[in-house]
Parts: sequence; structure tokens; C-alpha cells
Amino acid sequence: MSHSSINNMLACHQCDSLLPMPLLSEGQKAYCGCCGAALFSKKKDAINRTIAVAIAGLLLLLPAILLPIIGIGAAGLYNDASLVDCITVLIDTRNYIIAFAVFMFTIAIPTVRLFTALYISLCIKFNRTKPSLLVFFRSYHILDTWTMIHVFFMGVIISMYKLSSLADMTIDGGLFSLVLLLLCSTLVSVTMDQHSIWHKLEQALE
Amino acid sequence: MSNKALAAGLGNCPQCHKLNVMHAEKQTCSRCKTVFCARKPNSIEYTLAWTIAALVMFIPANIYPMMVFYTLGKPDAPTILEGIAIFIQMGMLPVAIIIFIASFVVPLGKIIGLFTLLYNAKKPTKLTLKQQGKLYHLVEFLGPWSMLDVFVVSVMAAVVNLGFLTSIEVASGITYFTLMVVFTIFAAESFDPRILWDNHQKQHHNTTTPDKEYKNTDEKYHDK
Repeated sequence: MSHSSINNMLACHQCDSLLPMPLLSEGQKAYCGCCGAALFSKKKDAINRTIAVAIAGLLLLLPAILLPIIGIGAAGLYNDASLVDCITVLIDTRNYIIAFAVFMFTIAIPTVRLFTALYISLCIKFNRTKPSLLVFFRSYHILDTWTMIHVFFMGVIISMYKLSSLADMTIDGGLFSLVLLLLCSTLVSVTMDQHSIWHKLEQALE
Repeated sequence: MSNKALAAGLGNCPQCHKLNVMHAEKQTCSRCKTVFCARKPNSIEYTLAWTIAALVMFIPANIYPMMVFYTLGKPDAPTILEGIAIFIQMGMLPVAIIIFIASFVVPLGKIIGLFTLLYNAKKPTKLTLKQQGKLYHLVEFLGPWSMLDVFVVSVMAAVVNLGFLTSIEVASGITYFTLMVVFTIFAAESFDPRILWDNHQKQHHNTTTPDKEYKNTDEKYHDK
């Protein structure tokens, strides 16, 4: 098979069917005809939107991590906790595995992922592609599975529900930052057009 | 059915989904420089190992308490199922249902789903290929959601800390639970869904005449 024809083909990542490369216009999405898996989609104004959302997410990162999320008060005593407090409490009580897991899934991986998305989009926007971008973008793919801000947020909601029956509960600024950070982190995967970025990187580096 | 990348000597890069001509069994992708094989090597064995590890972790995760609840110095340490029973007694049915689904049904369902997929990769079953694909997708999607209980417990332990009056401490069960969740995610990652289609094709070829089948699909794709 010649080199040019292979560039006009793709294989489904789920069932390995060989398919002709579909030509999509903006906003369309391609599915595998054999197994129905989503192949890729072409997104509107992907680079600019990703830059905007990633910057917003990075700005929200510090308040979401450091500000107290929720607090409780009972009989004149008051205590609140931020995301960092959760981890330090876990370390203090020697639950290192959970502390590590919580730190990785809610702080480290989302942060690196947002930085990666921003860096790649900026480089492509200003035509400064270099081979190191390949490593960055590959790591972005791997980190996608391990981002768990949405689950953490759900966990906070359930804790709030549990605590509201136990004591007087207050909501702090950390929760709002967390909601917005979650929004940005989700939007990055919505706006990021992985297929076209790979395509652009390939063309630029050849 | 013969229109597969593997049969044509091509391989799909697992990272950037670029189609490559496979010169060797293991090679680097021409676009993203990932080293990959046409199929994940020893996928079934790795998935089985991770799934069994997760199943083993599921047992201590349910035997040991998730957290220790101190009220006026008196400790109370419920396990996952005891905790749910307490919520039902307290009349907090919605929370009880969410916790039951997130920390008992989903992890167990994921382990059962992975075993089903592994069985399907070895022997034909009543499940159609599309259902198997959907099952894999579901297992993959549910991956992070079982971490819910771990996050709930760590938030509760950090927030509820009012000295003698009431405080919550993390107990050993949650460590096993975390490990179980991570193991099931690894299991889902190491499973290669394309094996399901490969097997189906093999069985199909044994029962029907391969030549006719080949022509039909070929025409279909030429029309497109």
C-alpha cells in the first residue's frame, strides 16, 4: 500500500476496521460504521477556545486548592477544610496511599493536563512546533483518564449532604472555585480538537 | 468482515490513532513516535491479572471499616455496607442509594464486566459484538467514579474535626478500596477491545466461505 493512500485511511480503535478518512466540516463527528465507536470530530475554533479555557482553569487552580471548601460548626467550635487540608490530614494519619491518590487525581494530574493543553495550543497558534510537543500531547492523552475533579466534586456534594444533618455547615469560596475549575477542566476536553492537532503537528514536523 | 487493519498489515497507533504500515511486530509511530504493537501484547493476561488483584482487594475493602466516627470520645467504625445501613436507618435514602451504587454496585459491576469481557475474548457468548463494545465503554467510563467514596471519606475526615465533640478518622478499609479502584482502571486500560472483533472474525471464517464474504465487504467499501 502506498504512503499517500494510508494517510487517507483510518482504523477504528475499538474494532480495527479499515475505513476511508471521512471529510468533516466544523462541528461534525465521525462514528465507526462497524461497531459504532466515536472516531473523531472536527471542532469550531478549537485552538483559541482551548487557550481561553485553559488560562481560566489555571487561574482558578490556586483558589480551588487553597481556599476552604466547606466548614462545620457545632457548640461554638468551628472547623473548615480545603483540598490541601484533606491531603495533609491523610498524611498526618499515615494514610499515604490515599493521600498520594487524592493528590495525584485532584491536583497534580489536572494541573499538568491544563498546562499541557495551554502549551500545545499556544505553540500551534504561534507556529512554534517542535518535536517535544509530541511528548506533551501524548502525555495529555494518558492524563485524560486519570483526571478526577468531577468525582471529587461529587464527593464534596455528598459530604455536604451528610454533614448538613450532623452540624451547621457553611460553604466557602473554595467550593465555587472548584465548580469553575471543574467546568474549565471539562471544557478543555470539549474544545480540544485532538485529531486536527495531531494532523498539524505531523505536517509541521515533517 | 475481512476489512481489518491487522489483515492488511497495518496498525493503529494507540496514542494518536494514526494508521501505520507495520514493518515489524513492534515499531514506532511515524507521527507521535510511540512504540506500539498492532495489538496490545498479552492484553488478556494483563487484564486478568489486574482484575483478580482488584477482586482480592474488594474483600478487605468490605471487611474493614472505611472511617472511625468519634462522638464524645466514643468510636464507631462502620464498613461500607454498615454505613449504608446506618444511612437508611437515619432516613437519608438518596445518599444511601448513591453510596451503595458508587461504592458497592459499580466496583463489583466493573469486576464482573471485566471478567465477562475476558470470557468473551476467549469463547463466543450470547452477547453481540456491539453489546460487548458498549460494555467495554461502560467499564472504561465508570473507572474514575468508584473513587467517589474515597473522596467523600477524605473530605469528611478533614472537615469533621471538632476535637472531643465529634471527629472522623480514616480507617484501613479505604486504602484497600483505593487500590481496588486503581487496579480496575489498570485492568480496563490493558484490555484491547479489538481482540473481541478478531475472535469474532475467526469464528465467522470457520463457519462461512471466506471468499464470498471478502468480496461482499470489498464491494461495499468501494461503493463508499
